[in-house]
Amino acid sequence: MTREGAVEKAKKVRFVILDIHGVLTDNTLYYTQEGIKSEAFSLHDRLGVTALVEAGIGVSFLTSKISRADQQMGKIYGIPPEKLWGSSAKIGRLDEFEKESGFTDEEICYVGDEMIDLGIMGRAGFSVAPADGSAEARAKADHVTAAGGGRGVVRELAQFILEAQGRWEGFVAQFK
Amino acid sequence: MLFEKDIASARERAKQVRLFAHDIHGVLTTNNLFCDVEGNKRYGFWHMDGFGDLSLTANDIKIAYLDTTSIDGEGLFRAKELKLDKYYYSIADKAAKLQELMGEMGIDYGAVGYLGCELSDIAPMKKVGFGVATADAIDEVKAVAHYVTNCAGGKGAMREICEFILSAMGKWDGWVEKVTKMGYK
Repeated sequence: MTREGAVEKAKKVRFVILDIHGVLTDNTLYYTQEGIKSEAFSLHDRLGVTALVEAGIGVSFLTSKISRADQQMGKIYGIPPEKLWGSSAKIGRLDEFEKESGFTDEEICYVGDEMIDLGIMGRAGFSVAPADGSAEARAKADHVTAAGGGRGVVRELAQFILEAQGRWEGFVAQFK
Repeated sequence: MLFEKDIASARERAKQVRLFAHDIHGVLTTNNLFCDVEGNKRYGFWHMDGFGDLSLTANDIKIAYLDTTSIDGEGLFRAKELKLDKYYYSIADKAAKLQELMGEMGIDYGAVGYLGCELSDIAPMKKVGFGVATADAIDEVKAVAHYVTNCAGGKGAMREICEFILSAMGKWDGWVEKVTKMGYK
């Protein structure tokens, strides 16, 4: 899709759903010697979530299972516990959310990197993949970020969406 | 050194694979070990490789984690996470383990694929029908491989070769379609 096409889709976004592994993280699972799994996130994404939320665009995590690491990062990014969704039935979860919130497919932005995300990417009005997502996810996406997973995907996406909506300058103004 | 491989012949070899074995360090990990000043260790595994493993097993190709260099059982942690621990083998002699698995399955070396990167991988790679080296494998391994991945070890080599195998078999598109439809329940 052309950048103009992606911008048009981004204008309609009112809610952003984020896959975690490979989007918020750098695709690597670090195991300690005791077998405890850990992951690397980006603090750039904290600013991205803040910018979206301040603009009234809700943000949620959607992954098969919410770990304590995801809960901790939700806290750091400012995403409330009820927006941390653990479900491998991603499309079913989207249906449920749309029913309770009244949002439609075209108001939803979904960010994912793997084949398991293809179904929900097809539903979301604006689908996005990180630079190092799988070839299938990148082909399906309306927009591919320059950043790779765990390297500021959400920071970049927030700016893209808010610029499309003419609201980025307003967010930046508070820092000047 | 650049190793040019015949892709068409690699595809023909990949088509025959019914058992796919791979090494752990340098294949599923970058071969880095993070150690803090207290001596606590961490091993990084590329998460999409797990999807590669699961793609093969879902398409009736058996896999084997062949680990010669386990330090804390890190390869087993990963296999357990993917519920593939029954395919994990901590052994010194990889070629012997392969032979045992082949016997159980009733297949010969032509139906075995192998992904490796280090000296200990050369012996099994010389025997199998489809030997694959990671992009950052040592030259000796690349020399005996039938194919070299574009991705480095710990950066998606396993995910890449699973797609290569299923594509060669003409199963990839159907698998993509199947996975795309997942997520309704």
